[in-house]
Amino acid sequence: MIHCKSEMAAADADQILIGSNVKFERIRRITGYLVGTLDRFNNGKAAEERERVKHCSMDAWK
Amino acid sequence: MPLRGAGKQQKTVFELIIVRFFSVYYGVIEEGIGYMEPAGIRFIKKRDSRVVPFDITKIDEAIFRAARTQGGTDRTMSRALAEQVASMLAAERNETPDVEHVQDVVEKVLIENGHARTAKAYILYRNERTRVREMKTRLMNTLRDLSFTDAKDLDLKRENANIDGDTPMGTMLRYGSEAAKAFYKNYLLSPEHSRAHEEGDIHIHDLDFLSLTTTCCQIDIKKLFNGGFNTGHGFLREPNSIQCASALACIAIQSNQNDQHGGQSIPNFEYGLAPGVARSFIKNIDLALDMRDADEDFRSSVKAALSGFAFPTGEYASFRSILGEEGLAFVRSQLVKGIAAEEADRVVAKAVARTDKDTYQAMEGLLHNLNTMHSRAGAQVPFSSINYGTDTSAEGRMVIRNTLLAEDAGLGNGETPIFPIHIFKVREGYSFNPEDPNYDLFKLACRVSAKRLFPNFSFMEAPINREYLQGDDPDHEVAYMGCRTRVMANRYDKSRETTFGRGNLSFTTINLPRLGLKHRGDIEGFFEDLNKVIDLVFSQLLERFEIQSHKRCRNYPFLMGQGIWLDSDNLTSFDEVGEILKHGTLTTGFIGLAECLKALLGVHHGESAEAQELGLRIVRTIRERSDAQGEKTGLNFTVIATPAEGLAGRFVKYDRKLFGSIPGITDRDYYTNSFHIPVYFPITAFNKIRLEAPYHAFTNGGHISYVEVDGDPLNNLQAFEDIVKAMKEMGIGYGSINHPVDRDPVCGYTGIIGDVCPRCGRRDGEGIPLSTLKRLKGYVCDSRSSDERSESRDKIANIKL
Repeated sequence: MIHCKSEMAAADADQILIGSNVKFERIRRITGYLVGTLDRFNNGKAAEERERVKHCSMDAWK
Repeated sequence: MPLRGAGKQQKTVFELIIVRFFSVYYGVIEEGIGYMEPAGIRFIKKRDSRVVPFDITKIDEAIFRAARTQGGTDRTMSRALAEQVASMLAAERNETPDVEHVQDVVEKVLIENGHARTAKAYILYRNERTRVREMKTRLMNTLRDLSFTDAKDLDLKRENANIDGDTPMGTMLRYGSEAAKAFYKNYLLSPEHSRAHEEGDIHIHDLDFLSLTTTCCQIDIKKLFNGGFNTGHGFLREPNSIQCASALACIAIQSNQNDQHGGQSIPNFEYGLAPGVARSFIKNIDLALDMRDADEDFRSSVKAALSGFAFPTGEYASFRSILGEEGLAFVRSQLVKGIAAEEADRVVAKAVARTDKDTYQAMEGLLHNLNTMHSRAGAQVPFSSINYGTDTSAEGRMVIRNTLLAEDAGLGNGETPIFPIHIFKVREGYSFNPEDPNYDLFKLACRVSAKRLFPNFSFMEAPINREYLQGDDPDHEVAYMGCRTRVMANRYDKSRETTFGRGNLSFTTINLPRLGLKHRGDIEGFFEDLNKVIDLVFSQLLERFEIQSHKRCRNYPFLMGQGIWLDSDNLTSFDEVGEILKHGTLTTGFIGLAECLKALLGVHHGESAEAQELGLRIVRTIRERSDAQGEKTGLNFTVIATPAEGLAGRFVKYDRKLFGSIPGITDRDYYTNSFHIPVYFPITAFNKIRLEAPYHAFTNGGHISYVEVDGDPLNNLQAFEDIVKAMKEMGIGYGSINHPVDRDPVCGYTGIIGDVCPRCGRRDGEGIPLSTLKRLKGYVCDSRSSDERSESRDKIANIKL
C-alpha cells in the first residue's frame, strides 16, 4: 500500500519518503452508511458534509 | 390493480413492453427516405448529415402503415400520395432536402388530401420516433461520460459513495443502471409517473431495478441455519461452531444482496449466533477432555449429554443456553461421572475461555468478511446491518461483547470497519438501566460507538416501537435496516407483526420544497397540492408492485428459494411472488421539510415553534394518507424519512432552474434530509433531539436522527451516554452520534486529524522519512496503546466535547 520492498532495500531509510500523495482517510456517515473517503461523495452530499455544524458543546448540553 | 388500466390482468408486463415497443417501431418512417426520380430529387440528407439516395418506396411504406393503423388498406392511394410528396419536393428546387423537411411535406400532403386521421397517426409516430431518438442520444452521451470521465469529475459516477465508479465492474454497473432507467422511463413507467420523476416532483428510488426486484430484507439467520441451506451452488450443513455460523451469516447476506437492490440486515444477530457458541463450547469441552486423555466412551457420552441439553431435538433452532449457570451445573454433573470435581471445574473454565476466544475470532472474521467480500459482479461489498443487544443468555452476551470488541479493534491495520452497520437495541429491563443484565454491554456499545461511529442505537420503548414488544421474544422487537428502513406493522397479516423475513418493496420520495415554493404563504393551497402528489406516489407504488408481483419464486433463488422472505417456503419455483410480497412495505418518502417550511413561512422548524407545528402537520398528513391507502388496499403503505444520497442534490438543481436561487431554500447544493434540522443551523444536541423525535412517531417506514459531536468523544464517554439516553427519553426510534473519525494510512493513527497527523507529524499527502516511521513501529497496528486508552477513560465528564 505504501511502499515496495525493493524500494526499501535500495536506499537508506532516511532518504526514503513514505506516504507521498497518500491522503488521510476521513470517515463520515452518509445516509446511515459510513464511507471511508470523502472523494466518493456526490456533489450535493459533499456540500452538505462541508456545512455540518456541531451540536454538542457540553456547556450548552442540558 | 391492472397495470395502467391495460385491461385483462393476464396481460403480462412483458407483453405490455412489446406492445409499447412495437407501436413505436412499426409504421414508422425510418431515418432514410431515399429516392430515384421523378423530376429532380435524387438525394436526401439524413439526420447525421449523411447524403443518401432518395427512395420513394420508403415514403409509400410509411404512409401505408400510418393508414393501416386507421384501418386503411389502399396501396394505390399510398403510392399516389408518395408521388405527390416527391413532386412537391421537386418543385421546391432544393436538391437535397433533409429528412425532417420531407416528413413535414408528408404531413402537409396527407392533410391537404383529406386524410386527417392518417396524418394524425403519422404525426404521432413521428413524435414517438423523435422521443426515442433523443432518448438514445442522451443515453449514448451518458455512456460516453461513464466510459471516459473520471469519477472525480462526474457526479453520476458518485451516485453511491460506497461504489467505486472508476473500477470496471463499478462502471459496468452504471452502464446497466443508466440503460435500464432510460428503458423504463420510455417503455414501462406510466407517462405521468415518468414525467413527474423526470421533472423532479417525485423521485422513484432504484428505478434501474423497477422490473427486477424489491428493496431489502431482514434475514432470520436462526431459521435459515436450521437444517442447513443452499446458496444455489451447493448445500451448506447446519453450522457446528461459532466460526462456521458467523461465516454462514456473511454468506447469507452476500447471497441475498444479489437478489435485491437495497441493503441486507440481520434482526436477531446474537440470537441467531448463540447456538453456534454453544456448539463451539461442547466441542471445546470435548477437546479439553481429549487433552486429558479421557476415555473415548466417556467423551462421547458427555458430548451426547451436552448436545441433548443444548439442542433437545438436535436441530440448531432448538437451542437452549448451556453456558449459563444452570447449563454449566449440568455440564459439571456430567463431567464428574468420569473425572474429579476439581478437574471438571478446570475443564469447564478452559472450555469457556476457549469458546470466548473462538467467538472473538469469529466476529473478527465476520467484520473482515463483510468489508471485503463482493457482490453485484464485484462492484461493491454487500450493504449489511446487524441488530443486537437484548439477548441475555450467556451465549448471546458472548456474541455481543465480542462483536463490539472486534469492532473496537478495527480491521487489519486498525481501520474503522465501514460494514456492517451495528445497531444496538436499547431496551429497559435488558440493556439500558444499570440493573439490567446487558447494561455492561450498553456501556461497551457507547464506548465503541464513540470511537468507531458504530453501533447506532435503536430504542425499543420509543412511542412507535413500544406497542409491539411481547416478553423476551426478539420477533417482536423492532429491528432496523442500517440506513433507517423499518418494517413492523402488518396490515396484510396482523398475526405476523414482526421484522423477520420482511422488508421494503419500493419507495418514492416527494419533493417537499417544490410544493412549498409553488405555494409560498398559501398553506391550504400547499396541502391541496401535496395531496395530489401523494395520490400520484400511491398510484406509482401500486403500479410497480403489480410489476413486482408477477415475478416468480425462481427469480430470487436465495431470497425466495431458501425461504428468507416470510412465507416464501410455501412457494414452488414457478409460483408468482405477488401474494407473499404483501408482507412487504410500499413506502412514501419525503425530503427537505426544512426548505419547504422556509418557503411557506420564511422559517424552518429549528427556528420557530409555528414552523415545527406546520412541519408536524405536513408529515402527519402524509402518514394519515398512507394509513388510509393501506386500509383501502390491504397493503402495507408506510412513510419513510427518505435516506437521500443521489437525491440530495438532484431536486434542488431543478428547483433552482424553476424558481431561481432563494436564500435558505435553493441556494445550497443539497436539500436537507427528510425532517432533519438543517445541518448548517446551530442548535444544541438536546434541542435537535427534542425537535426531531416527534417525527419518528409518524415515519413508520423508517427514520434516523443524528447529533454531530465535536472533538473526541472517547474523552467524555459520560456525555456520549447522556446523548443516547436523551434520545431514548425523548422518543427517538433510531439514532446515532457523528464525530470525525480520521485515519492516517501511513502510520495507522486513528482519531481526529487536523492538518497534521498527531502521531507521525506528516501533512495530508506529504511523505515522511522511513526512519521516522520505523521509530513508530509497534503503534502501527493499534491506534492507541492500553495506557492511552485507560487514561482517556479516566478523564471526567463535563469537559467540552
